Amino acid sequence: MEKAIRFLLVRDDYYHQRGYWVIAAAMRDAGIEVILGGIQTPPETVKTATQEDVDIIGCRIMQGAPGIVIPILLDKMKEQGIEDTPVVVGGVVPEKDEHLLRELGVKEIFRSHTPLKTLVERVKAIGNEYKKKRTEK
Amino acid sequence: MIAVPVLNLIIPDSKNEGGRSYLMFSEDVLKELKTFQERYEEELQRILSKVPDAQKEYVTFSGLTVKPLYTPYDIAKTDFFQDISFPGQYPYTRSVFPAGYLSRRLNIRQVTGVGTAEDTNKRWKFLLSHGASALSFVKDDGSGSRADSDDERVKGLVGKCGVVLDTLYDYETLFDGIDITKYPVHMITSTAYALACYLIIAEKRGINFKELRGSMSNWMRPENECIDITEYCTRNVPLFNAGYLDMRNVREGGCTASQEIAFGVATTMAGSDALIVRGLDIDDFLHRVTWFVNAGPDFFEEVAKFRAMRRVWAKIFRERYGAKNPSSLLCRMHCQTYAPTLTKQQPFNNLIRSTIYALAAIMGGVQSLHVNSFDEALAIPTEFSALLSVRTQQIIDLETGVTKVIDPLGGSYYVEWLTNKLEEDAIAIIDTIQSMGGAFKAWDWMCDEIRKAAMRNQEEFDSGKRLLVGVNTLVDDDDIQMRALKVLEEHADFECISEYDPSVVDRQIARLNKVRRERDSGKLKRAMDDLLDIMRAGENMIPPLIEAVKLGMTQGEFAELKSEAYNQAGGGPYVCSPPATLA
Repeated sequence: MEKAIRFLLVRDDYYHQRGYWVIAAAMRDAGIEVILGGIQTPPETVKTATQEDVDIIGCRIMQGAPGIVIPILLDKMKEQGIEDTPVVVGGVVPEKDEHLLRELGVKEIFRSHTPLKTLVERVKAIGNEYKKKRTEK
Repeated sequence: MIAVPVLNLIIPDSKNEGGRSYLMFSEDVLKELKTFQERYEEELQRILSKVPDAQKEYVTFSGLTVKPLYTPYDIAKTDFFQDISFPGQYPYTRSVFPAGYLSRRLNIRQVTGVGTAEDTNKRWKFLLSHGASALSFVKDDGSGSRADSDDERVKGLVGKCGVVLDTLYDYETLFDGIDITKYPVHMITSTAYALACYLIIAEKRGINFKELRGSMSNWMRPENECIDITEYCTRNVPLFNAGYLDMRNVREGGCTASQEIAFGVATTMAGSDALIVRGLDIDDFLHRVTWFVNAGPDFFEEVAKFRAMRRVWAKIFRERYGAKNPSSLLCRMHCQTYAPTLTKQQPFNNLIRSTIYALAAIMGGVQSLHVNSFDEALAIPTEFSALLSVRTQQIIDLETGVTKVIDPLGGSYYVEWLTNKLEEDAIAIIDTIQSMGGAFKAWDWMCDEIRKAAMRNQEEFDSGKRLLVGVNTLVDDDDIQMRALKVLEEHADFECISEYDPSVVDRQIARLNKVRRERDSGKLKRAMDDLLDIMRAGENMIPPLIEAVKLGMTQGEFAELKSEAYNQAGGGPYVCSPPATLA
């Protein structure tokens, strides 16, 4: 059987957890292996992603400024040589930041109220694509 | 401020009168009604069967199946004096105060937290100048719990979704020119650091601790810090609302209306048990526990929820804890309207949603209210959008008449039935929690229940079973509201949609460095050592904390001390593979 996609899910604050848990449960139910990172800063996320050898990183952002936090994450990933690992972002992302993040290589930005089915399908597609690339290497 | 008024009425108490009951409808009426109600329901089915697409049943936002019509038959067992009674009278279903909003106007209290302390102070003054009547601040998530603002780990968080508060100096700036004896202040934070700053400011202003009011989000949790705050205030700052139930955010997390009641009451029971062990009496502290609650989309269910909440609180603490002080039994609430249904799409619709949620809160008799702003799903509120939230409350209060009659929906067959149903469900959940050893032991179970409910809710939206305008129905690809907002943004000479200003970090670091430069590090070191010793010994941390804060200890330094004292590890990641349940 094909090995499940390993999806690291992190969030940036303590109070708003609903989306984080709902997404985690939906991914799990769809057969994705969910690594719950909890509240993590970009360096912590990179460390976890490396240790857990994940196929995709999901950042749920509510409190932080996406235009600052995500570029730091991408830089730290580069430093650790895991810049090929795809990153997806969800939560409150201003439109201006959306453009910036896409330019920097963020694979997908999910807005609030995105149906879970869409989320799962996109994460699977992005994760599988990366896994395939990794195996070919 | 007014002391809790007591109603001088001797209300018939069926328990004291040999089981005499005060049912509202005679047997004759009910007997006759039963026949007619059954026939009506048959008729209704006949009529609806001819209506194409007629909805067969309605399930409330929290999952209760309701009928199309309610009659006295549905509340036949409701005892007027036991279950409804007068406002300000046990079990306080109708209002905690005898005169409702007539003696105590609604506190219009918008949560504020923008940029530095200077920015938030300015916003507070702006809101007060437009008729807000109470204040509340929320900290950003960096200074809220983790580290000082110059720490690498909090980059992108500083002053972003809350005010950044690192030191006593920041708190002093925040409260500058604000009369805390006139405006009730709520601090949305559970850290003892905030309390220490508040007390120091009060002391400097010559306010006697015995007269000092205010409140903080000191949610009763199984943690020393939380219990220390409540214990210290009970003994030294008796009018400060030190205990607090943040059920609003739990509801946002997905739970149902009955869970909102039950988890709140059960958590207070667990917290009370811990305080009783420390030698306090239930009547010493319970009257200083207040609720932070939600007002969700299902109008009548929410009105009933506030009524049931007051009733469950009074019954549980009188019957199970023997609370005797009437003010212990008053379930006083600050409410913030529901946010997960606010949409980025067609953003002005959120004004309408939040107004309806606010109406439910006011008809439900909350003491204090925050109405979410229409830009909630886009950014934090601007002066422009926050003012609309203040105006929403003022219009309801001043123009519609709903605050002029106490508990205006009391007596509605439907609302009374819903109130009974929510009470019954909440008591059943409380009993389940108690059978698990109380809320602190059932913590994980409660978290799991909340997440399951959130999942059900999301699935309802995804499947279209529950509608959300602009999202899964009445979708407008050419979103004229969004276009209107953009036009406004382009031409307005005021901030229209809040944008994060990264320069806030530099301004804050300058403030932080000023404190660090000016403090006496030798004295501070000794004070922090004392504080650490006290924390390790499990004694009350507040007195030495006040000393250390006065000497310039920062919020980040306090966070480090706490993790040293209580061994709070960061909690590494854990793997969750299917089909294991997410804990």
